[in-house]
Amino acid sequence: MDEDLPYTLSNVAQLGGHEDRAWHIAWNPAKSLLASCSADKSVKLFTYSHDGEGTLNFTLAASIPTGHLKTVRSVAWSPSGRTLATASFDSNIGIWEQELDDDGNPGEWECASLLEGHETECKSVAYSSTGTLLASCSRDKTVWIWEVQPDSDFECMGVLMEHTQDVKCVAWHPTEEILASGSYDDTIKLYVDDPQDDWFCCATLTGHQSTVWSLSWSPNGKYLASASDDKTVRLWRRNGEYDFKCVLVLEGQERSVYSVSWGVGKSSQENDSSLGWIASAGGDGVVRVWDLSENPSSTADVPLVKLIARLPAAHGVFDINSVVWCPRKGYEDLLATSGDDVVTQTLQTTYQRRLRQ
Amino acid sequence: MSGEIFNPNPTVFRSSAKSHSSRSLSTAKKSLWINEPEWSQPDQETDEEEEAIDQDEIFDLIRNIYDPEHPNTLEELHVVSAPQIDIGENRVKVEFTPTVPHCGMSTLIGLSIRVRLIRSLPTRFKLDIVVKPGSHQSENAVNKQLNDKERVAAALENPALPYSLLFVCVSTLRLILNLVDLKDAIKTI
Repeated sequence: MDEDLPYTLSNVAQLGGHEDRAWHIAWNPAKSLLASCSADKSVKLFTYSHDGEGTLNFTLAASIPTGHLKTVRSVAWSPSGRTLATASFDSNIGIWEQELDDDGNPGEWECASLLEGHETECKSVAYSSTGTLLASCSRDKTVWIWEVQPDSDFECMGVLMEHTQDVKCVAWHPTEEILASGSYDDTIKLYVDDPQDDWFCCATLTGHQSTVWSLSWSPNGKYLASASDDKTVRLWRRNGEYDFKCVLVLEGQERSVYSVSWGVGKSSQENDSSLGWIASAGGDGVVRVWDLSENPSSTADVPLVKLIARLPAAHGVFDINSVVWCPRKGYEDLLATSGDDVVTQTLQTTYQRRLRQ
Repeated sequence: MSGEIFNPNPTVFRSSAKSHSSRSLSTAKKSLWINEPEWSQPDQETDEEEEAIDQDEIFDLIRNIYDPEHPNTLEELHVVSAPQIDIGENRVKVEFTPTVPHCGMSTLIGLSIRVRLIRSLPTRFKLDIVVKPGSHQSENAVNKQLNDKERVAAALENPALPYSLLFVCVSTLRLILNLVDLKDAIKTI
């Protein structure tokens, strides 16, 4: 490589099992479990653990046929890690829980609930940070907010019809009840609950020149990253309660950027101003990792950004549909990606400059 | 399907000779909905020398697609032509020219081209299907829709779409001559 980047991305595991395009992945926040979904309508669950020599091994633990009639486009874990939600092109949201057998041991994954309401393909689903709310979005241009009630009951709290086109993705703020959605109409919308009234759109972020495919909040909640068909990733800084401003545009991607994920990172140096790592991937098949930090020397609110790792052809010649950081402590350098080659894989980000010298 | 005809009287050009390509392709006569990839995936041994694909070969794959409104092929209507095909490394860009700037069938035509190429070309090729700049009043909207992989994936999963595609094709007399193709097409959906 002509570049001299401080970190390398190396393959940890190739996770096969799907029979069609792998669309999306979700790391369980509480235990060693990775969920992957596909156009083959199934969800695969992989467990992982270190063997005696410190190597991380992944094993297929379960395959959920789901019963969805079409592509399972995205998956999301509840914060407790006990419930999995699936969004399908069959316009439904599935809620999955693991049954306990008579001895209290975990058994099969069962559909605990099926949320109907969207008119056309569901594209994305997400749990709020407390797990009390679920958001879903669809080609029907709407975003639905569901309240999670005991016994897998869900009540629709609002149907937000703000976008003029397909809604591609939804993402909850890491601590507050603020929801962001990205759309084929090139905009990002933010929503909050009015205690006296209903959920409403409190901000619209414009700037992308094409479809917004993916959104990810910074771990500290001060920034939102968006990935777009316009081949850029944009960073939006929260300057006021509902005031967001684009402060950075990450360029260099050669085709659509389908996915962006913002993790806490595992930096080689401890750094108070660190904002974590952003990973992006898309149609050009390259996984990129950027290091972000607050700019201490400037009054400007533009964070410092540095490309620290780049892996071309991560899925061979194929598109990468998703890239997601592992949220669990000790695994902050672990990424999962899924691609049109039907494969889900995990990658490790390793500091290596010292090795070269 | 609305009964509106967007271009009731298109100019029909004479189709050029047989295959343009030096490599004869049997695909040109087959239905749009062929199932098998026409070029088998290069296996590991031959992978080192991937065969280059030229404009004419791509053109041969799409020239005989029928226009949804007329009993003519895209070649006869000058909707597609070899010079409008651009080939890069593992990338194929096809530009097509709607017969009229308000053609409501453009998305359908573009989708037909995309489906034909997805099902014919080795998977390493990324496809960009666009209308000729300035040839359509909703150029950006059409291009965006044709190149949104999620919409295309959903459309191909939706049984209503291929059926309507067939419907418009069936309505043309010319296709009756290709009944065999039609049977193949029906089998695949």
